[in-house]
Amino acid sequence: MAEKGGKGFSLPKGSLKGKDDNSAKSKQGRKVQIDFEDVSDPLEPNSPKTNGKVNTPISKGDSGKGGKASKAASGGKNSVTKAPSPEFKIEEELPKNVKCLMDCEAAEILQGIQDRMVVISADPSIKIPIPQLSSFVSSSFDSGLTYAKRGGTFSNPQSVRKILEPLIKYGVSEGEMCMVANLKVESDDEVFALVPSLKSEEGKLRDPLKTALNELAKIQSSV
Amino acid sequence: MFFHIVLERNMQLHPRHFGRDLRDKLVSKLMKDVEGTCSGRHGFVVAITGIESVGKGLIRDGTGFVTFPVKYLCVVFRPFKGEILEAVVTMVNKMGFFAEAGPVQIFVSNHLIPDDMEFQSGDVPNYTTSDGSVKIQKDSEVRLKIIGTRVDATEIFCIGTIKDDFLGVISDPGSTS
Repeated sequence: MAEKGGKGFSLPKGSLKGKDDNSAKSKQGRKVQIDFEDVSDPLEPNSPKTNGKVNTPISKGDSGKGGKASKAASGGKNSVTKAPSPEFKIEEELPKNVKCLMDCEAAEILQGIQDRMVVISADPSIKIPIPQLSSFVSSSFDSGLTYAKRGGTFSNPQSVRKILEPLIKYGVSEGEMCMVANLKVESDDEVFALVPSLKSEEGKLRDPLKTALNELAKIQSSV
Repeated sequence: MFFHIVLERNMQLHPRHFGRDLRDKLVSKLMKDVEGTCSGRHGFVVAITGIESVGKGLIRDGTGFVTFPVKYLCVVFRPFKGEILEAVVTMVNKMGFFAEAGPVQIFVSNHLIPDDMEFQSGDVPNYTTSDGSVKIQKDSEVRLKIIGTRVDATEIFCIGTIKDDFLGVISDPGSTS
């Protein structure tokens, strides 16, 4: 951005893109080099003072993103080009009246529909128009049901939800909660690795999460 | 991920269906029109679970068709960026592998497969580690992360990765887990 060069440097406007521009800029003066080393986000307002205290946490957080390659790259380079792992944020994209379903809940619902269809279609006294059997023949339904039932499911989805719902008050969203149930994770470290957005609440979430996972393991082993 | 959602649709019905079975005919037509379809916003409509309300019908000028606004409950399946899910491998080639999770197809490029896994061509193309301990082939179950989605008129296509921690093969085909 232009404001980066606003402190008296005659930098070309496109200078913030790409590593080559950074190395060219570093030759122009130490100030620019330090700014890019310390400030990982070049869109920050130009800070001519090298404030190590302010900048260090940014670079630390940056290197902790996951992936040693990103840590090495952010050493002296423009880190905007690094592609962070996408975070799982569904609340922004779906309307408010949506309920996230765990796979076991979806399996229960879909199995119920299939069982009803089997009963109805087996009864010769009930004549069903062909379109109503569409659930039977829709490939989305078949593949959805197979997917929901894969690997065995929790026999009592309500208990699973009861176990995981207390995590919501620690900042876990409903979608994240359902994902944890679906993946049958074994440890809290696995949860924090798979759902990076929970790391910000790691301190207060770790113990309740461990308890919840132990309870889930008990339910699974009793199936 | 599965969702339970209320959707609304305007259903057009021909006058020949009017009668005491009007509501049943409306529901039948709704199921026929909607189940199995896919939209970018809501994903795949897997099954309709109930009808919330059927509004008053409006006669369309000139045709005699009547339009009913119908609110219905349905189970949808929609993938999201950042979502971790388990998929079954359907095809492996040197560019990567395809997998399916429910009605959704996911492609994992070889650039997003761990570097220590190499493509092995042959009767059963696969990606294998150098020591042969881990193999990805057709019907393997893998845990992957979705990093991108593309929406078509009738389907959603995803790009995934198995290069992060705790991702990769869950089980081999034919093994009992």
